[in-house]
Amino acid sequence: MKGLAWQAPLLALAAVALGSCFNLLRADGISLRGDWSPERRFTDREGVSIVVSLEEARALFEKEAVSFVDARSREQYEEGHIKGALSLPWQEVETYFTEVSGRLEPDKTIVTYCDGDACDLSHSLAVFLKEMGFANVRVLLNGWTIWRSAQLPVEKTG
Amino acid sequence: MKSRIFTAGRVFLGAVFLYACYDKILHPQAFAEAVYNYRLLPDVLVNITAMVLPWLELLIGICLVTGILLPGAATLSTLLLFTFMSALVFNLIRGLDVSCGCFSTDSSDGPADMWTVARDVSFFALSIYVCWKVIFGFREHHEKKDDLQPA
Repeated sequence: MKGLAWQAPLLALAAVALGSCFNLLRADGISLRGDWSPERRFTDREGVSIVVSLEEARALFEKEAVSFVDARSREQYEEGHIKGALSLPWQEVETYFTEVSGRLEPDKTIVTYCDGDACDLSHSLAVFLKEMGFANVRVLLNGWTIWRSAQLPVEKTG
Repeated sequence: MKSRIFTAGRVFLGAVFLYACYDKILHPQAFAEAVYNYRLLPDVLVNITAMVLPWLELLIGICLVTGILLPGAATLSTLLLFTFMSALVFNLIRGLDVSCGCFSTDSSDGPADMWTVARDVSFFALSIYVCWKVIFGFREHHEKKDDLQPA
């Protein structure tokens, strides 16, 4: 059909023009090239990185100065988690928050984690915990995998 | 009757696109994060995609609802839905728990699952039907018209 040859490119070009112009004009426009490094992505509301390295997390663990919080589902937590970690699944945070928050010690660093490079449940949970008044909250990226790979203590529940 | 089914399908598909673009246009940063989380595009293309894709959905939606530029809109709709569906299936197969980002940029909606894929497959099937009717239905209509004209 005749129209197809020019209509599809026309619509695509119009979308590029509209998207670019609107992005330039709006106050909350995004940059053309985003910075998607972990330090830039995993920040608090003020834009400060809240990423904790495995070495830092391990040191805190050895000094018993950390409370790990597992942001994955209860089923995944029960199959295995960092030793001593509490379960606060991000998808059910409203259900479990009161119970778990009472067990978090305010003088310890809270480290949230989930599994996989693409998992941002731990980040969402960390930002939420900060908003709930916990000052020292950090995120261990790809936490479950790197903790196990380093053969650090884990345990099962249930 | 066939024409009414086609019109209803076309308008419904257009409405789906209009509904899908609304939240993405309002929250470009959150949508860029949803695009990034699919881990399919190089970092350099993430923001450009987040900037342009919702507007393409808006234009496709308007065209499908109003009936203008139908061949182009129906073809793009089918290509887009095929891409979305493939991206979802690919991430499910490789075990990435990504939020769909299909209709909302809110990641607390939960990760995409087989129901999300089934929904995309049904939209894709509808889009193929609309595309087929727009391109080949039009041709059949003209061929019939030509047959009726005296030689």
